[in-house]
Amino acid sequence: MSHAPRRLLAALGASAVLVAAGVAVSASGGTKAATPPAPTASATFRGIPEHDGVLGDPKAPLTLTEYVDLQCPVCAEASAQTLPWLVENYVRPGKAKLELRTLHFIGPDSERAAHVAAGAEQQGRLWPFVEGFYAAQGQENSGFVTDDFLRSVSKAAGVDAGKALAAADGEFAMRRLERADSDATRLGVNATPTFTIARGDAAPKVIGSGVLSHAKLKAALK
Amino acid sequence: MSRVAAPTARRLPTARGLSFAVALAGLGIAGYLTVVHYAGGEPVCAIAHGCATVQKSAYADLAGVPVALLGLLGYLAILGSLAGDGERARTVTAVLAFSGFGLSAWLTWIEVAELHAICIWCVGSALCMTALAGLSAVRLMRP
Repeated sequence: MSHAPRRLLAALGASAVLVAAGVAVSASGGTKAATPPAPTASATFRGIPEHDGVLGDPKAPLTLTEYVDLQCPVCAEASAQTLPWLVENYVRPGKAKLELRTLHFIGPDSERAAHVAAGAEQQGRLWPFVEGFYAAQGQENSGFVTDDFLRSVSKAAGVDAGKALAAADGEFAMRRLERADSDATRLGVNATPTFTIARGDAAPKVIGSGVLSHAKLKAALK
Repeated sequence: MSRVAAPTARRLPTARGLSFAVALAGLGIAGYLTVVHYAGGEPVCAIAHGCATVQKSAYADLAGVPVALLGLLGYLAILGSLAGDGERARTVTAVLAFSGFGLSAWLTWIEVAELHAICIWCVGSALCMTALAGLSAVRLMRP
């Protein structure tokens, strides 16, 4: 055998050992993936009014709107990192109110989740429902949004699950999804989470996408 | 006696030169993903989604080291090995590129079969590693 094929075989052999080791480590890490926790409800929204999905004083001068897909893991992270801070510093004091637009571009689970979220909104519990959903969020498009999952989230959020699931196929839910889509298209929102701000009756402006820092949100909410 | 200039030969890019270019592209991709990893929260769930799912999965780390950082170090090592063109340097490049190709193939399979999400940046890096593996094999087979 000449030198060249021997070198190639040696390189392939050494690589195979490295790859096998890497795959073994990676696979063991994968199986250790935690199963989603049970949905929970925090005290974040306690005592704050919610009307038609708007969280906070309807007369608050600033309106912060978040565009989300309930399957989006970054939306869940943004919710955990920024929502409690926003609620305590802006919503509870009456400086701002929060609105939510649930998009459904990731997959069928997103659409089902958005429909049932609209059912929760009809009961004045959209924000607790979304918080509970994120707490138990599974992997995108893994089929985790089952009726059992939605009942469990609803229960944790204080939502009547039967009514919310029944409302998911109704006209109101359909209109909510259409509104979210048309608003996103109008503002050029093509990623989630995206935050917009509106002062009074002025047209909303996009602040940014992703997990926004408190400093960035603070500057936008001045 | 007249002096006639010798015609300049138009040389095709060598396998080594191409490897250098591909490794630089891979370095850019891995660098971006490493920055994103440590910045946290990005890339957002864009309409062409998938990157966030992959980045936040249990497969994003290898023994606690972010895969993006491993890729970055891998491309740097490949670029370093391309500094030489001797037998040993070619062999080192090949071992690194074949290993990168193998791990990229495994992670791409994980994206499709386990995570049901494709990260376009990861696909770009996998393509770079595939090209580097092919070019390394060519260099190794040459005398």
